[in-house]
Amino acid sequence: MNPHSLIASFHPANEPDTLASHERAEIDASTRFPVLLFFGSAIFWLLAGSLLGLVAAWKMTHPAMLDQMAWTTFGRLRPAHLNTVIYGWASASGIGVGLWLMARLCRIPLIHSRLLISAAIFWNIGVLVGVLGILAGDSRSIEWLEIPGYATPILFVAYAFIGVWAVIMFRYRKPGHVYVSQWYLFAAFLWFPWLYATANILLIWQPIQGSAQGAVNWWFAHNVLGLWFTPIGLASAYYLIPKIIGRPIHSYYLSILGFWSLALFYSWNGMHHLIGGPFPVWMVSASVVASVMMFIPVVTVAINHHMTMLGHFDALKWSPALRFTVFGAMSYTLASLQGTTMAIPSLNTFTHFTDYTIGHAHLGLYAFFSMAMFGAMYYIVPRLTGREWPSASAIRWHFWLVASGILLMIGSLTIGGALQGLAQHGLAGSFKSSLEYATPFRWLRGISGFLLLAGHLVFATLFALMLLKPARRKDGPALLAATAEANPEPAI
Amino acid sequence: MTAGLLLLLGGMVFLGGSALAAFYWSIQDGQLDHLGEAARTIFDEDEPVGTATDKFPSRK
Repeated sequence: MNPHSLIASFHPANEPDTLASHERAEIDASTRFPVLLFFGSAIFWLLAGSLLGLVAAWKMTHPAMLDQMAWTTFGRLRPAHLNTVIYGWASASGIGVGLWLMARLCRIPLIHSRLLISAAIFWNIGVLVGVLGILAGDSRSIEWLEIPGYATPILFVAYAFIGVWAVIMFRYRKPGHVYVSQWYLFAAFLWFPWLYATANILLIWQPIQGSAQGAVNWWFAHNVLGLWFTPIGLASAYYLIPKIIGRPIHSYYLSILGFWSLALFYSWNGMHHLIGGPFPVWMVSASVVASVMMFIPVVTVAINHHMTMLGHFDALKWSPALRFTVFGAMSYTLASLQGTTMAIPSLNTFTHFTDYTIGHAHLGLYAFFSMAMFGAMYYIVPRLTGREWPSASAIRWHFWLVASGILLMIGSLTIGGALQGLAQHGLAGSFKSSLEYATPFRWLRGISGFLLLAGHLVFATLFALMLLKPARRKDGPALLAATAEANPEPAI
Repeated sequence: MTAGLLLLLGGMVFLGGSALAAFYWSIQDGQLDHLGEAARTIFDEDEPVGTATDKFPSRK
């Protein structure tokens, strides 16, 4: 469905038409191709990124492994892992979920899908060229911005297309209330192109001088989490939790307060990565204060999700989408509160430069965001393909493999990192012993990588079957008639 | 002043302004009134409050 040309849709003088009323199933169907394209590419990059991460992790205990070829050295594999999972997996899956949610919440079929398909193509080319560039040795060695300069404009074009699309969708939405998830999504789709462009202008196009580059670097890197992944993950949880259990959000007031306080405080947080660095004290202090203020949006979300779920926790047994989403939502609370404590300078001196930070990053990006995206995909894909997931036990395998994998990873890195920090301060042996303390925990982290990769392979197989296997088609969108009572399977 | 900085300053003013404008609009438009009912806007006759909408696929 394409009521206007792209220019006409975007032109401010053009009054948006009132589109006819549409069924939910019709809206879902309109998102099918672009959303599945983003999901499919996300899952491909997830597998690639898991493999890169796994090899990089084992290099920490086996430094001589694969060190004969420059392409497989740690200094290239590690940024390749990071950029593959950030831009390839997490961003693409988030965009897919965001597109579907935008269409549902605007209550209109998705328009201008060709814009989105072009975005997906640019996107994948950008990530491919970028990651190969990193592996070939063109990394820019700026954390989270390692993708070489010849690939970033391709990515930017894709981001900008999606931003433009979000504005058009919002313009053509059905009149009525703007649900909290839509605030989050719309904001994320507008904020991210700006973040990415600003960081590239100040660090690559017309590089600013000296240590100010560090400030820009961490302003960007933290905002990718806070103003891009967090809003998308929360938008998904704020929609799916009430929708799946059939109960409105506990306190809608708190959810709106959470959105606006996140918008106010999060963009200040990045400088807490530079505590003790060569910066004016006020810059770091302002960031530490904002990091503590993040308590407000985080607690509003935590209270809201918990109180909505209260009395419905048995739903975790029968809904795969809810199980992943609630795992993600709980991890969001944990990750954010942990982040607040890590921004406190006296604690930061112990956690900085240790594996503790790596554990924290995976708590945010995997245990929160990736799990929320898995949950959303379990909900969305049957509604796009009109089929049920082919195997309940495979979904359970996926859940338990990745849940135990990520808990093992975060647990081992957190404990190992804390011991490292103590040793580095001479409180538990010598400085040199900090390495010896970390080693056994790095072995455990390496093992956790196998669990995660196995879980991802199960999920990729399920997804491929959903696309390819023609069997078990239902009349309407699958699962719509499901109720708690009707479900005969309480097994976990 | 370089073109890059001008672009960024303009962008900052625009983006900050747009956040304020969005907040102002949400108040003017009544988006912040009747918040209790607003939470129910994701439900409709097909999928009313009280209906669960996801479950594990059943075995053959």
